[in-house]
Amino acid sequence: MRLMHLFLLLFFYLLPCIGYAQAGTDWVLTPADTDKVEIDIRATFNGNTLVPGKKAYVNAHGDTFYVDAFRFYITNFAFAGSEVVNGHCIRGMFECDSGETHLYDLLDTNTYSFVLKKIPPAVYRDFTFTIGIDSFKNTSGANGGDLDPTKGMYWAWNSGYIMAKLEGHSKVCKTLHNAFEFHIGGYMPPNDASRRVSLPIPEYFEVGRPSMPTITLNADIAAWFNGIDLSKVNSILTPGKEAMMMADNYAKMFTIESVDFTPLNAR
Amino acid sequence: MKYLILVCLFAIVICLSSGFDNGMKEIKFIIPDGWPKPVYNLSKNKLTDEGFKLGRKLFYDPILSRDGSTSCAGCHTQWSGFTHVDHSLSHGINGLKGKRNSLTISNLAWNTSFMWDGGINNLEVQPLGPITNHVEMDNSLENVVKTLDTAKGYRTRFYLAFGDSTITGQHVLKALAQFLVMLESFNAKYDKYIRKEPGGEMTEQELSGLKLFRDNCETCHNEPLFTNNSFQNIGLAVDTVLKDYGRMNITRDFHDSLRFKVPSLRNVAMSYPYMHDGRFKTLMEVMDHYSDGIVEGPSLAIELSKPMILTPEDKKDLIAFLQTLTDKEFLFDLRFRDWRD
Repeated sequence: MRLMHLFLLLFFYLLPCIGYAQAGTDWVLTPADTDKVEIDIRATFNGNTLVPGKKAYVNAHGDTFYVDAFRFYITNFAFAGSEVVNGHCIRGMFECDSGETHLYDLLDTNTYSFVLKKIPPAVYRDFTFTIGIDSFKNTSGANGGDLDPTKGMYWAWNSGYIMAKLEGHSKVCKTLHNAFEFHIGGYMPPNDASRRVSLPIPEYFEVGRPSMPTITLNADIAAWFNGIDLSKVNSILTPGKEAMMMADNYAKMFTIESVDFTPLNAR
Repeated sequence: MKYLILVCLFAIVICLSSGFDNGMKEIKFIIPDGWPKPVYNLSKNKLTDEGFKLGRKLFYDPILSRDGSTSCAGCHTQWSGFTHVDHSLSHGINGLKGKRNSLTISNLAWNTSFMWDGGINNLEVQPLGPITNHVEMDNSLENVVKTLDTAKGYRTRFYLAFGDSTITGQHVLKALAQFLVMLESFNAKYDKYIRKEPGGEMTEQELSGLKLFRDNCETCHNEPLFTNNSFQNIGLAVDTVLKDYGRMNITRDFHDSLRFKVPSLRNVAMSYPYMHDGRFKTLMEVMDHYSDGIVEGPSLAIELSKPMILTPEDKKDLIAFLQTLTDKEFLFDLRFRDWRD
């Protein structure tokens, strides 16, 4: 029986290597570092790294503002591309899904990067993800990790997650402390504020090499202010039409800034 | 001699375990015969003795409020069916008044939504409402976790319940849910009548009340849970001070104006006053409302658009029936008491 287990183990460990040997590659696979993709997120304003607090920014409407908080959920990752067999890409789409949930927080540098696991080896051309939390997780009770309601991204009076949050202040806001607050959420149609974002990967992007590839995402908050006059719209705290408009704005904030293949030991 | 020692040891173990157990029975969630499938997903929150006891401790501990003054039990006392009896509007921290009458707590596993406006979608996140409400506990879950982390005994209890002494918001809510879901009421005289058990012998008046109930009330307060979980406008004039439009505050749909959750009628005789703002002190006032007090409006429940004709005798019979929904085994169940453990 034990011998059987050993054989099975060996078989499953060797199986991927056999596959790659056939593909004619000359590098050695270690199962741990071949199915992962690192995602780095850089928050920006018009391409410049976003600094919370004292740095002033001017939005498209001409309002000067400062950013105090910026958080969002990024979830349900999917890659689409072509499987590699015998060194050649097979035609047709090959998709994989990762149910990971990540909370980005501008004020916590630990949240700036994270790793997606179990991404099958392939050449990928599209990277897709959701900003926000799907309706299943919005109704499934008390979740843990980044979804723990202690993370300040959960509404108590009307259950549901805040998908994304941008807070700051501007003299044009005639509010307490000149604050503007955009807490965007809502999971029930027609006011579902989650947004699916699909981005073409600009360079050749292969998963399955010994080095872990990195995708650097740029989240540019300038998109939040499209069509927004801060003196009039400065507080969105409930699901509804205004939240949906803002969700359409933040759906456009992402671009892929770069793709990096530097081997892990060279970083 | 050997056997004697064994028997003695066995007896000691039995005594000790029952002594430490506060006389508690095994933790078992019961789905009574003929009841529908529960809505709450018990498979994602395994009920354990440790989890239940931790939830119970949290329910009775004012540590959940910002200044340590107000517990869940403050507005939800067991003997009244877990509500705030004799208070039209429940009050919380600093004696501040809320704008609604606290709901009873029983058979929550079958609830599809929570609160009078149904704003909360899952039993596990329900406690977030009162914990964060400024006139109830005025706290945050972040702060609850921080406070519990330094409070005596809690880390050990969380370890026993969840195998992790790091206290998280998720585990606070899961523990509370374990206690809340166990608050089941299905042993009233009515239940025994349905099950044809001893103690379920109804009087003629009660049986007449049951017939009247089935003719007039059953659509919304349907058996065995005595609610269909819907939201209805039952023709209560809006209070000009509170200006509470109920469900519309959540859905933003004017069709939902003045609609409130249909509350379960279990233990209703113990849970006065009545309605979302506690405007009626007695069940007779409630009867009078249904027979003579309906205020018409666009969102009025269709069932109430025709007058409900009830004679004074009918009203007494109906009340007699409603009293058969009082479940003393539930109201005085030792498992649900504050054990200070």
